[in-house]
Amino acid sequence: MAQAKEEMKILTANRLRNGETVYYTAAGEWSPYVSQAKVAATPEDIDALTKIGAAAYAANLVVDVNVIDITPGGDVKPSHIREIIRASGPTVRSDLNKPAAPSQRS
Amino acid sequence: MYIYDKFDHTITRERVAEFSQQVARRLTGELSEDQFRPLRLMNGLYLQLHAYMLRVAIPYGTLSSKQLHMLADIAKKYDRDYAHFTTRQNLQYNWIKLDQVPDLLADLASVEMHANQTSGNCIRNVTADQFAGVAGDEVEDPRIISEIIRQWSTFHPEFLYLPRKFKIAVTGAPKDRAAIQFHDIGLQIVRNDAGEVGYAVYVGGGMGRTPIVGPLIRGFVPKAQILSYLEAILRVYNRYGRRDNIYKARIKILVRETGQAEFTRQVEEEWPLIRDTGVDIPAGEEARIRAFFAPPAYETIAEPVVAFVEAKKKYPAFDRWVSTNVHPHKVKGYGAVTISLKPIGGIPGDASSTQMHAIADLADTYSLSEVRVTHVQNLVLPNVKQADLFAVWQRLGEIGFADANIGLVTDIIACPGLDYCALANARSIPVSQRISERFADLDRQHTVGPLQIKISGCINACGHHHAGHIGILGVDKAGVEFYQITLGGAGDEKASVGTLLGPGFPGDQITDAVERVVNTYLELRSSPTETFIEAYRRVGAAPFKESLYGRR
Amino acid sequence: MAVVDSNGLIADGWARLADDAPVPKGGSVVVSFARLKNEHNSLFSAATKVGVDIPSDVNLGELEPFLPRLGVIVVRFATMRDGRVFSVGRLLRERYGYAADMRAVGPFIPDQAQFLLRCGFTSFEVDDSYPVESFKRSARAYSVWYQRATDRAASVAELRQGALDGSKS
Repeated sequence: MAQAKEEMKILTANRLRNGETVYYTAAGEWSPYVSQAKVAATPEDIDALTKIGAAAYAANLVVDVNVIDITPGGDVKPSHIREIIRASGPTVRSDLNKPAAPSQRS
Repeated sequence: MYIYDKFDHTITRERVAEFSQQVARRLTGELSEDQFRPLRLMNGLYLQLHAYMLRVAIPYGTLSSKQLHMLADIAKKYDRDYAHFTTRQNLQYNWIKLDQVPDLLADLASVEMHANQTSGNCIRNVTADQFAGVAGDEVEDPRIISEIIRQWSTFHPEFLYLPRKFKIAVTGAPKDRAAIQFHDIGLQIVRNDAGEVGYAVYVGGGMGRTPIVGPLIRGFVPKAQILSYLEAILRVYNRYGRRDNIYKARIKILVRETGQAEFTRQVEEEWPLIRDTGVDIPAGEEARIRAFFAPPAYETIAEPVVAFVEAKKKYPAFDRWVSTNVHPHKVKGYGAVTISLKPIGGIPGDASSTQMHAIADLADTYSLSEVRVTHVQNLVLPNVKQADLFAVWQRLGEIGFADANIGLVTDIIACPGLDYCALANARSIPVSQRISERFADLDRQHTVGPLQIKISGCINACGHHHAGHIGILGVDKAGVEFYQITLGGAGDEKASVGTLLGPGFPGDQITDAVERVVNTYLELRSSPTETFIEAYRRVGAAPFKESLYGRR
Repeated sequence: MAVVDSNGLIADGWARLADDAPVPKGGSVVVSFARLKNEHNSLFSAATKVGVDIPSDVNLGELEPFLPRLGVIVVRFATMRDGRVFSVGRLLRERYGYAADMRAVGPFIPDQAQFLLRCGFTSFEVDDSYPVESFKRSARAYSVWYQRATDRAASVAELRQGALDGSKS
């Protein structure tokens, strides 16, 4: 079981037009928020994400496409420090960081 | 300063048009990312972790106040209100949108600026001594030949797809403030026995994975023939440099694998064959460019300047700032001010648009409207009257850039590292911030004396760690940031590559380790005037190793 | 396959000859450098015109003896970033005096057209789907250049000095 959990992955890229870091969502869109990323936990789902990424790259929507590891349990959080920083912004400019999820303004 | 004529304007305008349609063709998909990447890199446009980054060329580090104002305006208009000055005297914006780059380039062009060849496997922005034209020790102003090289290398049809990037630096003085021996080509302006001015040519220096101090391959190339000599070097490199392995593609590897003597022979064989083919510029053109760098109208001022001397007596903090941040000027009554972009705990090389505007205003009021960028990521006001230094210092204090730390332990070079850079393995900026905070006490900094710490977040060495008296290299060890320490590097006329001390330290121990190295130096130095690098060269790495790792 | 020059599509009279194919009588054929070296006598006597396809790391000294009799030299990009092609073009023109057609082939992109033209290339072999309009635009992207190259266009420095001299007289 632990093995399967380590295989949890999400799809990320940067938008071609503006370079923004984005994540592929369950709704089939690209979101700036890592919390909205669609999580793949089976080899089939991971393969599907890889193909979606390749297609979006071929369609010139996104660049630098990668399927990345996330930490099992709770909120969607990338495993590697590089991807943690990509998800939130430079650690030395907290004023410029973005939240993991869109702000809930009523 | 150099001023564009109609030809420069035409080429810059045509360049904006060309890159604009390249962007458009990328967005429609006519150009694939693989095809577009070399084109955008040749325009200084990278894709980093969070966004596109644009590197703007600041040729040989010289800026007008008008240009600096525009760079500040661009930071506000297209970016997040700040920018980063780099070790290659350029400026980087971190949050750029691809579809806005054409407009941004047009804004740059309006002040005679561009991003040409600030990345890619081509001849990059030429760098030079930040005190060009004002240093008393120079043979000739290096900006003249730098501008000639800028023009020659811009869209050179033969040399835009070299095996790898190619960096040229020029020093006009025997005191090397441009780290020329760590460049693909380093030029030192010299005088031969007949009193003629020419160039000593160093080839094949560099940092990165294989740091090499570049050897001298020719002691004197006459001024009028330098472009054909450069073209001969570039042609040999373009034809025979390795293209099978990115880590072996720099000219330093070609020189090393071919052998310095054989490489030099190939260049010397090529040179006469191209010397008379119109590569070298007409004599009148050198004179035309030279005229732009004629000394400005300095006032005749008698030293000592009483108000200046009095202010130093009255304000010890000002006196101390003068001792570290004001470089002697060749004209009596003037000084060259280095503005520290290294406030304690700050991000080395970063400046907000407000700060950039303020510095541009200072240049207008006090420095004949000129600003320089140093390869240590600071700015320079090259022409300040001594009588005005106090006012400049006070104003710098108001914008947070009055630290009296130039050349000291907190004047740290740091690349953007993993906070921004797609290539990085570890963060650099937080390490520099913590070291800077640890040594915040200015008395302690002055006790330690001249000491250069340089930090890179990966082996590409943008933070020049190989040339740091203390170099720090960030590495990724199973997903965790570790930092290795090298000692004894130097980027001046006594260039040397630092020696790795031992295993790396995790991020929360690297500051302590650096402090131990500094304290070890303080204990073993022969006198308070023996600098860190002098002491290291005298005693070697052993005592420092012992202080970090104990006896083995 | 199509062939273009800086004005667009042109007719291509050259046939590519495989190393094991017989030499047609009276044709215009492009052969590999290996075949040229081995069979130059029979090639030049049988074919009307002979061209050669060379890689960008060719030894130009080996090619030199054949140059006066060649009708086209096809220089091959290994990748779009193969900058050796540009040096080979200049050397063939400027050092060896080669004057007939010089053709680039391989994965070069339209944006490289201007530089290839400056380095002495006269024709370009491209896919049928190649964006020829972009190629033509690239060929005209700049009206002046900072440096001399094979095309012998006056450099900006020379234009400036010409203008200065002119204003004095």
